Amino acid sequence: MTTAQPTPLELRLSAFIDGEAGEQERHEVEALLVNDPQVRALHDEIKRGSDAARRAFDDLLKEPVPLDLVRGIRNADLPRKAIRLPDAPSVMRQFKPSGWQAFVGCVALFAVGSGVGYLLGSNPAMPQLSAISAHGSINRDWLDDVIAHYRLYARQTTHLAEIPADRPADILEWLTTNTGVSFRIPDLASSGLTFQGARLFAAEGIPVGQLLYRRTSGDGDPDVIVLSFTKSRPEGNRSVEEIRNDTGLVSWVTPLATYVAIGPSSAADLEDIAAKAAGLI
Amino acid sequence: MNDIRRDLVALLPRLRRFALTLTSTAVEADELVRQATAQAIGKSYLWKGEGRIENWLFSLIRTTHADELKKRLRRGEPVAARDTTRGNIGARNVLDLDEDWSSALLLVDVEGFSYSEAAAIMGVSSETIASCLCAARLNLSVMGSETSERRA
Repeated sequence: MTTAQPTPLELRLSAFIDGEAGEQERHEVEALLVNDPQVRALHDEIKRGSDAARRAFDDLLKEPVPLDLVRGIRNADLPRKAIRLPDAPSVMRQFKPSGWQAFVGCVALFAVGSGVGYLLGSNPAMPQLSAISAHGSINRDWLDDVIAHYRLYARQTTHLAEIPADRPADILEWLTTNTGVSFRIPDLASSGLTFQGARLFAAEGIPVGQLLYRRTSGDGDPDVIVLSFTKSRPEGNRSVEEIRNDTGLVSWVTPLATYVAIGPSSAADLEDIAAKAAGLI
Repeated sequence: MNDIRRDLVALLPRLRRFALTLTSTAVEADELVRQATAQAIGKSYLWKGEGRIENWLFSLIRTTHADELKKRLRRGEPVAARDTTRGNIGARNVLDLDEDWSSALLLVDVEGFSYSEAAAIMGVSSETIASCLCAARLNLSVMGSETSERRA
């Protein structure tokens, strides 16, 4: 293979062919092509090389692409995308105690501090309390109940919903009355989801409404995506985005209710669905 | 939501053709495309939908290839010789060229990138692209003439 560096004239002609020459340069090259047969021959030679490259690369495009490459791309998981969901509203309170209030507060704090100190000092069994509270913190929370219901019903083909989708008025009345949350049934057709119906169940003793959707487009299995809602809970007053037992959760809160979008962990667009539902529900 | 996987499958033959200009064998090219497409899917949030997605994907393939070459050099592995049995005689001629020349030819003559776009993809200056392109065209022209003479 020749590795000779092109001459300045060859470079000018090559750039001229590609339309990369400036206006003055273009006029000069055009004049050379008209007046000099050797320059014309060189121009044609470069053009022949260019045409040969096009033909050769066109032939390469006809080679079959390995099927496993196509499958690898089709089956790849999309990355999870950070979407800003509505946060819990922060309550702004002004804290301006008067002198008298400040004095009472100080006395009360002193009394509480003395009491706690006395208890700690006189009762050596106190460390057991921390063990009890630590045990409590690893207990199941209401979201585990929500997931358990999702996993129980997501595989159902004939008993997916308690009230089917063709009775929207019944669904609205039943769930609003029992959960105390007024809502709309979001249309998530743009995410390929068809509304299937609704259910009511209890999570940690509090009623939870559940709107069930089935994915009707796409190449994969028909996933079931669920929107659950309940009255605001003190422990649910924060947005959660996590995966538990192969189930994806995205939750958001409003002043009156806590909402959770639930789907299989493979549903890469769960945050998208949650963001859409947050605006529609 | 635009699914990048659809774009990648549609562009796969062209991505693979570009990878062939960088690598020595078709097997290496396929592996390079596999790595680059996996990266593209993983970083799809970086693609904002402005301009041609091909610029980003070709660039990703070139940088993935450069990283792989560096790794091999560090491990002391030899770089495989070009497979000279690929495709028909025309394809062999373009793939036998120096890899920079071959890539420049593909990007400008076939994919229609400007010198500056091709330079950005290849991580070199526009002057280098112009020089590689001109040298590659002259070589191909000579190879074509020699082949015609042999046939005659």
